[in-house]
Amino acid sequence: MNLATGLLHTAVLAGGVPALAALGEVLTERVGVINLGVEGLMALGAITAVAIVVATRNPTFGLLGAVGVGLAIGTLFALVTVIVRANQVLCGLALTMLGTGLAAALGKPYAGTPVPALFGPCPIPYLSRIPVLGEAFFSQNILVYVIYLMLPVGLHLLLFRTRHGLNLRAVGENPAAADAAGIPVQRIRYLYVSLGAGFATAAGAYLTLCFVPSWSDGVVAGRGWIAVALVIFAGFRPINAVLGALLFGLTTALGFLGQARNWPVAPPLLSMLPYAATLMLIVMPAAASPRVRRLMAAPAALGVPYFRDER
Amino acid sequence: MSPSPSNVDTDVASFRIQRHPTPRKVTTLAARTSAVALALLTAGAALALTGASPWALVREVVADTVGSSFGLEDLGLLVSPLLLTGLSVWVALRIGAWNIGAEGQFNAGALAAAGVGLYVPGSTLFLLPLMLLAAIGGGVLWIAGPALARAYAGVSELITTLLLNFVAALLVYWLATGPWLDPGGRALGSTARIVHEIPEFWGSVHWGLPAALFLAVILGAVLNFTRWGYEIRLCGANPQAARYAGIPVRRRLVVVMLTSGALAGTAGMFEVAGTVHHLQGGISNNFGYLGIMVAVLARRSTLGVVAGAVFMALLLDSGTVLATRGVDVSIVLAVTGLVLLYTAIGDEVAHYRIVRTSGP
Repeated sequence: MNLATGLLHTAVLAGGVPALAALGEVLTERVGVINLGVEGLMALGAITAVAIVVATRNPTFGLLGAVGVGLAIGTLFALVTVIVRANQVLCGLALTMLGTGLAAALGKPYAGTPVPALFGPCPIPYLSRIPVLGEAFFSQNILVYVIYLMLPVGLHLLLFRTRHGLNLRAVGENPAAADAAGIPVQRIRYLYVSLGAGFATAAGAYLTLCFVPSWSDGVVAGRGWIAVALVIFAGFRPINAVLGALLFGLTTALGFLGQARNWPVAPPLLSMLPYAATLMLIVMPAAASPRVRRLMAAPAALGVPYFRDER
Repeated sequence: MSPSPSNVDTDVASFRIQRHPTPRKVTTLAARTSAVALALLTAGAALALTGASPWALVREVVADTVGSSFGLEDLGLLVSPLLLTGLSVWVALRIGAWNIGAEGQFNAGALAAAGVGLYVPGSTLFLLPLMLLAAIGGGVLWIAGPALARAYAGVSELITTLLLNFVAALLVYWLATGPWLDPGGRALGSTARIVHEIPEFWGSVHWGLPAALFLAVILGAVLNFTRWGYEIRLCGANPQAARYAGIPVRRRLVVVMLTSGALAGTAGMFEVAGTVHHLQGGISNNFGYLGIMVAVLARRSTLGVVAGAVFMALLLDSGTVLATRGVDVSIVLAVTGLVLLYTAIGDEVAHYRIVRTSGP
């Protein structure tokens, strides 16, 4: 592999983590609920996947188990934020602390042990033989294709090309109007908040089954928060979110490259790159023209619980 | 009063549940107390499931924290940083900003204070104030970007302040293991001992604690009894109304957020000069994140910040005691999350009242 290929290959691999979580968060925020618990969910997904794969030696079981845990917690989170209608910022922060702390405690016995079975490379016939790009984009593990191609395109079509997607967005923009039009506001919110949590834990599983093949305390390292930031940068659009994640992956890959090639920069400083880049990404939309800014604006009812009798 | 709910048909029923926009103080207090109790019960039940005896652990924790003077001193050492990071998050919340970055500002403050303490020659009497100034500068610098971006570009401060936490932690780690590393030091990855210390007044508890309490009183008085404080609270409650009243909302927001950063930076300096006496990775010890909990528990009350800090110090101290009994320290963070979750639920539930309706 030459330099460009290696860089792109790592970028795609690294970007998959926040990409998957950001896709889930796009769904959650599009229906008007902000889930700040992504970081904690990701940690729980990562440790669940490791524990299951150590026991069963089957990465698919690990992924499915992590998604199951995410859906279960998502259901509870939706119960608290959509049905009880408690403060979403507080509940999200609580979930982050709870998930991070619990995963660290549960992960103690697994710390440092390599995961015995991973999602292996799955080259796509013909495409993988394109010079440079083929090896970087089409010789990845199977989840990469799902994360970068199938999910964003599928979710884009769902959100912007179907009646259900229109309803979904209406719930996030103006739940009272959606309610009056006969759209089941609470049911849609409940569904997508739970689903979004499943994406977040799946991202954690991807992290330990495809990218960093072992568990250690702090392995998530803010990737959950980066996913939340990417959603804002992406203007709440699935395809943009994945592209943003690829940018994030590129800065991560640059950091790795610097360490491997002994650049005269200390490794901790290189590790700052992804955070600094994400900060830039999130401030960037503010410089856009008012028209673009309106297009990329957050759903109007984001973070606001819906009370039917206070309409 | 909100209009009566339409979803309950009350022809004969004489009671119904109603949501009120403002909860009663008593109900809120009751809801929160039960939230904390329930969180601790949940944690105890989880401990029991792992085979430990919660009661025995509770007895040991009580004996080792509030039951001995050593325990109380440890508690005092934990209260001062929690009080300051709590105040930091709390003051930002008064104007409606979420400073999730107290952790990073704490690190920036600790770093700046350690830099001055290690490399500027002079007497302790001169250097302690200088370290404090440097720490305040560090904290302010660390929140300046997010504050300006929020005020003038509408960028969510929640995420910008949080992302900077990771940058600050890496910066501290780099300095402590790289350029500032003490090569002859016993501890791995730590700077040389910083000789300028905040004097102690009771056992190992240093003057940082009274200083933090003093800052809490000052801040509470300013917010509650001055025109500036009133304007801040108005900006937080209703920014639109504040703007129409002629208050420069953006400027107030920036100043309050910078104050918030300064408080967290101060906490970092107290930790370096009062407790740890080195700069090392992980010096912030989650104090910034636990400060969020302190601020949320406090609601609008200054006294609440003190109470919240003491409660969180107890929780954190219990964690260190439990760690010696084979329970993982990370449990503290998990239990904090649980308390926060139940508190959020309790706060919402407190809005509901059972109302008697006159029958037909």
